[in-house]
Amino acid sequence: MGMMRRFFLIAACGLGAVFCTHAASADDEAAARSERWAELQRAIFPGRTIGDGAGVIQLEAPPRALDAALVPFTITLPGDKQIKSVFLVIDNNPGPLAGRFTFGAAADPRTLKVRMRVNTYTDVHAVAEDSAGNLYAVQKFVKASGGCSAPAGPNAEQSTSNLGQMKLKLVSEFAPGEPVQAQLMIRHPNFNGMQMDQLTRLYAPAHFIRTINITYDDQPVLRIESDIALSTDPVITFGFKPSRQGQLKVEVTDSKEQSFVREFSVPAATASSTL
Amino acid sequence: MRRLPLVLLFVVFAAASGDDVREPEGFWSGPINSAVPATITGGKAIHAKELARLLKQGKPLVIDVSNEPKRPPGMAPDAPWLPLPQEVIPGSVWLPGAGMADIAPETDVLFRKLLAQTTGDDHDHVVVIYCHERCWLSWNAAKRAIGYGYRRVHWFPEGVEGWRAAGYTTAIAKPWTLEAH
Repeated sequence: MGMMRRFFLIAACGLGAVFCTHAASADDEAAARSERWAELQRAIFPGRTIGDGAGVIQLEAPPRALDAALVPFTITLPGDKQIKSVFLVIDNNPGPLAGRFTFGAAADPRTLKVRMRVNTYTDVHAVAEDSAGNLYAVQKFVKASGGCSAPAGPNAEQSTSNLGQMKLKLVSEFAPGEPVQAQLMIRHPNFNGMQMDQLTRLYAPAHFIRTINITYDDQPVLRIESDIALSTDPVITFGFKPSRQGQLKVEVTDSKEQSFVREFSVPAATASSTL
Repeated sequence: MRRLPLVLLFVVFAAASGDDVREPEGFWSGPINSAVPATITGGKAIHAKELARLLKQGKPLVIDVSNEPKRPPGMAPDAPWLPLPQEVIPGSVWLPGAGMADIAPETDVLFRKLLAQTTGDDHDHVVVIYCHERCWLSWNAAKRAIGYGYRRVHWFPEGVEGWRAAGYTTAIAKPWTLEAH
């Protein structure tokens, strides 16, 4: 239900409107969701219009997530538009801008996979920005709750002690000059300050990845700006175009100003960094 | 024969309402969002209809003790922080933090003042405490209010979700402060 609508209803039912048995209808819910999206557009893309993303960008998300702290999203760019960046917005998360992905010259931006925390039932928007600065959005509704305060899992300690370790795996065949898909895994607890340690019963202080910068032989591939929505031990699948055998370099910085750098020889990338 | 479905319904309900979760000795310090017990010693667990009746009959002090999302330090300065507005049962007061196992001293002061001011220091005033479904914060806060000496503490474990599911409306609230009252 929209804010104004809600206000009107409360006013209409009178003060102390407890017995007004108005249950939020499907229409109200839909109105509330589009009003929230309008608010987020003003906050994230002030003064810009966002076009329909059909044919430009696709978003795959589970209608009901099995684990709200690990909700998988797949973003694909099926069209022939030059897309320079993609924004992933989880509308009802307190920090709704879950990630911004900027593609470089050596990128193959067609498929991107990430796992995010989802706090409550929400619309999720994937917004593509083309090289002319036009925006295109698509949306999916996801049923998940409690992703932001889900307790730190049994791996959290391991993630902290192996902080910044990475693994890269090519998930398609390597051929010089041809696009290839890679899966990057980073050890990082990505604490958002709302996770309780199951043993100490204390809240782990916020400690999360801010940027991931990926280059291939010094050519930019992908830059990710993220914060607390990114899952523990993030796994990111992305594409790039290696012109020849070379070095994929990943630089991660986090909210404590720590940075981690790893280089992987491509195609022999599978076991480059201990994990 | 006509009784059988009722019996079944009761069994299902008993299984779903967390009868197998025992009340802890002190405050619950485990995961906030997990199964809760069906009871609270020294107080009374109620359902949505009973809460609606209490609200109709008198002026109970109804407190939402859901935690407030806080912007974590270290986020990019331009990253938006826009928590959803807090939806509460109309007429209730939102006091974040009152249900933590280790309550912050300033929140403890606030909680005591809220209770004392609103009830006129009447320990027989009806107090209702809730947060969300499967949420221990309300259980802890209710236990705390009982410990302060309030004798008619009601705990509404179904939370705002249960309230909405029962067909009642909600309102928007800001955290309660001393200045505002």
